[in-house]
Amino acid sequence: MMQTQTRRQVVNAFIFLGPASAFLLVLLVAPIIVDLVVAFTDMSQTVRIDEYTTDQFRKIIRPNEEALLGFELRGSFYRALAKTAIFVFFTLAIFNVTFGLLLALTTTALPDWLGGTFRAIWLLPRMSPSVVYALLWIWVIDPTERGLVNQVLTNVFGSEPVNLFLQHPMAVIVVANGFIGASIGMLILTSAIRSIPQHLFFAARADGAGPLSIARHIIMPALRWPLSYITVFQSLALMVSFEYIFLIMGPARSTMTMAMLAYTKTLAPQIGSGQYAYGAAITLILIVIGVVVALLLYRLTNMKRLLAKPRIEVH
Amino acid sequence: MKFLASLAAAAMVAASALFAVPATAEDITVKLWSRADRSGPLRAGNIVNAAEQYNNFLAAAGSDTRIVIELIESNARGFDADALELLKAHSVGDTPDIIVAAHEWIGSFVEEGLAASLDAHIEANPDLYGDIIPELWESVKYKGQRYGIPQDSEVRMFFLNNDMLRAAGKSEEFIASLPDEVNAGNFTMADFCDLAAEVKNSGASEIGFVHRPNVGPDFQMAMASFGIDMYNDEEAKLQITRSGLENYYQWLADCVEKGALPADMTTYSWDSVHAAFRGEQALSKFHGIWNLGNQLEAFGIDPLDGEAYFNKVTWINAPASEVGGSPKNLSHPIVYVVADTPNKDVAAMLVALASQPIPNTKHAVTTNHTPINYSQVAMPDFQTKGWGLAAGVPLLAYAEFMPNHARIGQYNAITYQGVQAVETGEMSAAEAAEWVVEELEVELGDDLIILD
Repeated sequence: MMQTQTRRQVVNAFIFLGPASAFLLVLLVAPIIVDLVVAFTDMSQTVRIDEYTTDQFRKIIRPNEEALLGFELRGSFYRALAKTAIFVFFTLAIFNVTFGLLLALTTTALPDWLGGTFRAIWLLPRMSPSVVYALLWIWVIDPTERGLVNQVLTNVFGSEPVNLFLQHPMAVIVVANGFIGASIGMLILTSAIRSIPQHLFFAARADGAGPLSIARHIIMPALRWPLSYITVFQSLALMVSFEYIFLIMGPARSTMTMAMLAYTKTLAPQIGSGQYAYGAAITLILIVIGVVVALLLYRLTNMKRLLAKPRIEVH
Repeated sequence: MKFLASLAAAAMVAASALFAVPATAEDITVKLWSRADRSGPLRAGNIVNAAEQYNNFLAAAGSDTRIVIELIESNARGFDADALELLKAHSVGDTPDIIVAAHEWIGSFVEEGLAASLDAHIEANPDLYGDIIPELWESVKYKGQRYGIPQDSEVRMFFLNNDMLRAAGKSEEFIASLPDEVNAGNFTMADFCDLAAEVKNSGASEIGFVHRPNVGPDFQMAMASFGIDMYNDEEAKLQITRSGLENYYQWLADCVEKGALPADMTTYSWDSVHAAFRGEQALSKFHGIWNLGNQLEAFGIDPLDGEAYFNKVTWINAPASEVGGSPKNLSHPIVYVVADTPNKDVAAMLVALASQPIPNTKHAVTTNHTPINYSQVAMPDFQTKGWGLAAGVPLLAYAEFMPNHARIGQYNAITYQGVQAVETGEMSAAEAAEWVVEELEVELGDDLIILD
């Protein structure tokens, strides 16, 4: 009897946890292990491994006796790291968090139908195929008089056309990614605002609180955890994101982030790709940075408390 | 007649070999790997037609054997991406029998055990290959052996819009003398830059000149003008000179500075590059002879009227970097490679048939590529429709090829990064040269010789 029960528990565990575990293993753990192995090989052009080596990492760092650890990052790698930091920080700070929050606050303050309409519009970039979205951006910032920005600048303001590809490439990728990222923040924060009990708003108004006080004292405290979640999740997502950068800017040096560097060295068309082991080494460093950043943010935003069991069960 | 006899003999040999096995109906499936490419559908099509010819020979010899072509068309965006797809397929045992590829990949194909040496096949069939323009064989050699059959050839040039030169006040004599002045080494790269800037500043053009917006072979001819010899044949290694690279980058920087070259050239799309010259915005563009068809259409010139075209456009080689130097050109043949598979002998014969003057001329005149056989120039199609190609042949005298080295793609990608850095003003020529040499050294290691 007891044995049957134990077996059933095992079977149940297998049924319930199996799919998720398999998913985790195949799609998340296995690629990291493959990346780890490939990074220490000489794989290039074909998917064959001839020898195990640390050569790939020598392409990223060079010995320097004066440096703190006895080595320094090579120019292109250092540059990619800096560009990644700028890209992630500004996209996150300006759009994914701040603008997402602003959208959530304003659209929930509006009547339902109007707020819903605005939210739907902001979801459009995310819903449209990435190539279409990128093509629209390419048209918007086209450096000739055909580009939307230049049409507005020359016809409305009478100023000279600008070439954003050349003059502000990082701003272009921050804004293009930000418009998409903001919608996720907006959705999560909107649902968080909606889950605040209505009576708190009524009580606040009865006490004479204005819209700003309500936002500050009732809404914002309820958004702490969703904001932490968005910050952690989106910083990791942005760090490895290259899709829109590649589609809009191509393999331009001016927007060569770490993820783009790994992509151009491995799979990107027509830019000397096919160096799979080198790309894997860059990706491995990106994974390590991702883990460190995630742990730091986890600590800074006190995610442990969010994920902890609630002390009181509210019914 | 001799050629036909040779063909028949070849077919008989193949047929008799097949007769040695029990005479049952048999299909030999030959896998053909070709990039789906609008600019040369007959590269694959000629092999399919060759199989039909081959089957006629087999049928005439009473054989039940039939050649069936299985076409594997990749959607790769360029020949580099296509070659990488092929190498991946090969590494998992999915090797095709015939490959249509850009010649510089031959080094990689040989190193990976993909390409079969064709020396014995070529020597055994002199009547099938005896008319091929000898210089073209250089493009398929790797470590002294031939691993491919040139499928087409081309020549690259700086196209100049004569109407813009006239509008800028240049005389007919000046325009007519340009190609010879370039070849004599009197008109240099710097002069070209000044001319483009002068025409632009006079208002005759909106843009001075444009080049390709991505990594590719064209830059090699400009680099060669500045004394960069990319390849050491004896050691089969790539090479670079720091001073040559700096001079080359300085030239680009000067062109941008003078307004002859747009600073954001490397962010252009291909469409914008084409539109700049065909839409008569740019004085000049440096690219290849296959642009001719589209230029004729864009300028509204009768495709049979060579005189009208050359009244509108002048072709020059890449000028020398210094007075008295030699101009440079680049030919970038697409080749047939036969893979080292059990079908390699049949595959090689199909390639031989597809490389004969008639099929090759069909490809050459419809896609504006120069011929691979001498006799093609005398064919009626070439005489009427191929006037532009005939005009391109003299430029071939200055042509060089890309090195058939496995890592030339990486080499080009890194030197192109320098082009981007200099043109956008991110680095000075000296900084870019220094950085590019370091990157080349790091990525290519033992495959690179640094000359200075």
